Amino acid sequence: MTETAFQRQKDLPKSHLLSAGTPMCAGCGGLEAIHIAYDVLGENTIFVNAAGCMTLLSVYPFTPFRGSWLYTAMGAAPAGAQGVRDALDILMDKGRIEVADDLDVVVLTGDGSGYGMGISATSGTIDRCLDYLYIVYDNEGYGNTGQQYSAATPHAARTATSRCAYGHKGFKKDLFSILAANGAAYVATAIGSEPLDLAQKIEKAKSISGPRFIITLAPCPTGWDFDPKETMTIGKLAVRTGVWPLKEFTDGKVSHNKTFSKLLPVETYLEQQGRFRHLFEPQKKEAVLRDIQNSINRYWHEVATI
Amino acid sequence: MYRIRFHGRGGQGMKTASRILGRAFFLAGYEVQDAPRYGAERRGAPIFAYVRAAKSPINERGIIQHPDLVVVADDSLIGLPAAGVLSGLTDRTIFLFYSDTDEKSWQHRLNLKNTLFTIPVDTQAVDPLQRRYAGVSCVGGAARLTGVLDQATLKKAIEEEMADRSPHTVSTNIDHANATFSLLAQHDTIIEEGAAISAVGYEPPKWLELAPDPAAICAPAIYGGGTSSKVQTGLWRTMRPVIQYDKCRQCWWICSTFCPDSAISVTENRYTRIDYDHCKGCMVCVMQCPSHAILAIAEKDADKVTLQEVPS
Amino acid sequence: MKRTLLTGNGAAAWGARLAAVDYIPAFPITPQTEILETLAYWVDNGDLDTRLVTLESEHSMITAAGSSAATGVRTFTATSSQGLLHGMEMIYTVAGWRVPFVMVNVSRGLAAPLTLESDHNDIMAARDSGCLQLHCATCQEVLDSILMAYRLAEHPEIRLPVIVNLDGFYLSYTREPVAIPDDDASRTFVGEFDSGSIHFKAGAPLSHASAVLGGSTYSYFRYSQHLAAQRGLSVYEEIAEEFARTFGRRHDAVEGYRHEDAEYLFLMIGSFATKGKEAVNSLRDAGWKIGLIRPHMLRPFPVERIYSLARGKKAIAVIDQNISMGKGGVLHTELASALYGKPGAPPILASFIGGLGGRDLPYEELFEIAKTLRDSAAAGATPPPRLLYTETELLEMRKLQAIAGVRIPFEEVHHD
Ligand SMILES: Cc1ncc(C[n+]2csc(CCOP(=O)(O)OP(=O)(O)O)c2C)c(N)n1
Ligand code: SF4
Ligand code: SF4
Ligand code: SF4
Repeated sequence: MTETAFQRQKDLPKSHLLSAGTPMCAGCGGLEAIHIAYDVLGENTIFVNAAGCMTLLSVYPFTPFRGSWLYTAMGAAPAGAQGVRDALDILMDKGRIEVADDLDVVVLTGDGSGYGMGISATSGTIDRCLDYLYIVYDNEGYGNTGQQYSAATPHAARTATSRCAYGHKGFKKDLFSILAANGAAYVATAIGSEPLDLAQKIEKAKSISGPRFIITLAPCPTGWDFDPKETMTIGKLAVRTGVWPLKEFTDGKVSHNKTFSKLLPVETYLEQQGRFRHLFEPQKKEAVLRDIQNSINRYWHEVATI
Repeated sequence: MYRIRFHGRGGQGMKTASRILGRAFFLAGYEVQDAPRYGAERRGAPIFAYVRAAKSPINERGIIQHPDLVVVADDSLIGLPAAGVLSGLTDRTIFLFYSDTDEKSWQHRLNLKNTLFTIPVDTQAVDPLQRRYAGVSCVGGAARLTGVLDQATLKKAIEEEMADRSPHTVSTNIDHANATFSLLAQHDTIIEEGAAISAVGYEPPKWLELAPDPAAICAPAIYGGGTSSKVQTGLWRTMRPVIQYDKCRQCWWICSTFCPDSAISVTENRYTRIDYDHCKGCMVCVMQCPSHAILAIAEKDADKVTLQEVPS
Repeated sequence: MKRTLLTGNGAAAWGARLAAVDYIPAFPITPQTEILETLAYWVDNGDLDTRLVTLESEHSMITAAGSSAATGVRTFTATSSQGLLHGMEMIYTVAGWRVPFVMVNVSRGLAAPLTLESDHNDIMAARDSGCLQLHCATCQEVLDSILMAYRLAEHPEIRLPVIVNLDGFYLSYTREPVAIPDDDASRTFVGEFDSGSIHFKAGAPLSHASAVLGGSTYSYFRYSQHLAAQRGLSVYEEIAEEFARTFGRRHDAVEGYRHEDAEYLFLMIGSFATKGKEAVNSLRDAGWKIGLIRPHMLRPFPVERIYSLARGKKAIAVIDQNISMGKGGVLHTELASALYGKPGAPPILASFIGGLGGRDLPYEELFEIAKTLRDSAAAGATPPPRLLYTETELLEMRKLQAIAGVRIPFEEVHHD
């Protein structure tokens, strides 16, 4: 384990690089994670963004960034990172900029782009060992267009395109394993409600070279239908119920950063969110709830036996 | 043609309200156009919607420049230039506010001679975002002021627009609309239809020849950082977090870390301070403070509470 | 028949429903998403016996639309702006497959800079693809056009995708009264789907969309596609005639409004054309002889119809809600090429570009455009193309640029 500047919670930054005044929803879990990440990344960062909620962080002439930003298109952010990274390297090689002028290239996209439309561009960057960090804020749907289901939507969640009694019939894609199998230098999951863990992972990712990924679950009051004040509570429950395992992949191995001798029942997480209310009202859908709980149990059972 | 504009906040059901009024006109035999105006609209952010109604097909489109009636479902918006409540008013424009402050005071405060009506707020909920009947109450009043919509039509319009809600919700909404409809009985038919657009004596647009600027100027690039702090997202807030410093235990600034909007700064001596120009009022800090040192108060009562100074 | 209030998006969803589509490959994008959501809701609830799948991109979505049509099912899809562009490779490709389906495009300006609001540059980018295009001015026209579009697309002499275009916000999110035809009448009108010679099944070997070697072979296929597109006009007119007989609503390829005795004309497409009509009414009240023409069909381009409406007029103002960078308004160019050298072609063809990215087109501007036409006709010279933009707008822009840290040269040009 590398040395960390973030041993305890009070090592977390006191002042924040990301300016206020952005049009994200009140209580946006993704924004909270980004502001923590940005404090660790520092202003010598260029964010390369794909279409999503966070695209509206920078609306002319207003930007919350102290460093740089480039919006590309929904499927193209990793390719945008390739061009910027290569060009910075060329400029340094040819002595046209100082090493001190270099930037960390960070792709920032939602899950629709990260798990879906952009995944071939992402895979290409891993094939080419591109030196960059990719932060996915995963709000489990196409948030910016009104929360339709995406490849990251969990089973049974109601979305704008799965409003039926059952909710979403598909299952959340395991992006972590895909990226690891593709040969990423570093893959981690994180969440804004565990800021210390998030800061440590950003710090660690910064210290590694090659294609690095941090998938951040982003509780979304608007899309998941809960009161914005509950954003952190729900995030913490996602971890405590085992729905969102905090883990890392380095040197060919997966390790879990937070394990619990006993997980909270998944219902405590689900019942707080409007998108799962149909599992509790008018009647409790015991079978679906059991399936969801079983799949979590199965996952953690496998973790324990590795 | 009737040209009616609704103002409210994201989450206050302005779209539904404008649609109920649009539907009522339609049921009464009018041609109708209704639309919410979408921006990057968010819960709490000012939004508006409009309704046009006429006896012949409507060719006008887009925003209503000069409304016959302006309906405001949240009186905290009235004083905010950004909400544009007074934009495009003419001598004829009539105002309808959902507000406990009376007509005279508003006219005085806004320095307006226009006819103005208020509908009293009919709920105990301190957070305007929780006033679930604000929209429908306004619709009831607006319908009465036009004089061409009756209660049966209004009822049918609510039933149709709220077809996916529970019967109880629908009937409660109808009750609220009826209450304001009756309340404004004396002012039946006060709104007159506005005239068609005239091509005589119009103000010619001041067109200019756009000269090419160098790319450094005219590329969509922002030079420098942190300009978003010029945007006052504090206007979205309907509930205000207030730190009671006597209770704050100067923890590791949990409130500041968890505030999604970077609206809580940490002082030299490890107290935290809320930036009300930007705080959106999500109440995450209130929930997360381990010492329960942050109070949630209604924004409208904010001036009644004296803020504690940050201890030195 | 039921008349009710629908948004343009709602009307589009109803169009697909009444056309009894079998298959909907989809992808969300503002301001189109409500179409997808409405259809998904109906499918989930069993109101619509259709399979709907959300793909991972528009490139995939349009591919699936083309391949499902080629396999033999009636297909509907919808997109907008960046989505249309993301799928553009396949727009051209599937048109070349000569398979029919209908796609709705909800017009929205293109990046960069990114915007959510309406203009026509997205749909103009598909102009040369081989897909036919119908442009709508009202929510009613959206629904009706989709029904007619299936007939047109599936006609054995055409067999090309048809794009039905409606403006974001101004139609997509605006409710208007719309007559929803009955299920039975719609079904009878649209008819059963027959993919004709192209469909995939066991026992009927078919290798489709093969490559060609050599310019002659290539030219044959490309010319044929062009000729089929051109044939689309007369086929459309027959369909529109039958539609009018069946449902009592006319949707001519080119709409003329108070044009007969007019000396001046506005030429506009899309929903702002109804604003144009309102301006015509006001100007008529003020004593002007002015009218409006509105191509409802843009591909094929109804050259002769436009010519017959424009013939003998003193001047036409073409108001383009698009901009071909380095040239100007696309419709202006198209109109000029359609009228050039024809007897009685109006001598003045003035170009105005406005309404980009949702910018309003206020009545004062329409009145002023009329005045420009009259002055130009009197002077006998076509005025230079005008980019509609006011002093106030530039001043506001300068304020934004100052915030953006842009240094504005001191000697700002002022106009009186
Ligand atoms: C090619 C293309 N298709 C569709 C869109 C419309 N669009 C904008 S944001 C968005 C959703 C992106 O989802 P996600 O990546 O999960 O980010 P989120 O919106 O949830 O932040 C979509 C579909 C687009 N901008 N470009
Ligand atoms: S929709 Fe969700 S992810 Fe998007 S800004 Fe709102 S809270 Fe954040
Ligand atoms: S309520 Fe608290 S957490 Fe939310 S924006 Fe305001 S200061 Fe930040
Ligand atoms: S979270 Fe509470 S205790 Fe900690 S600094 Fe903020 S107000 Fe004080």
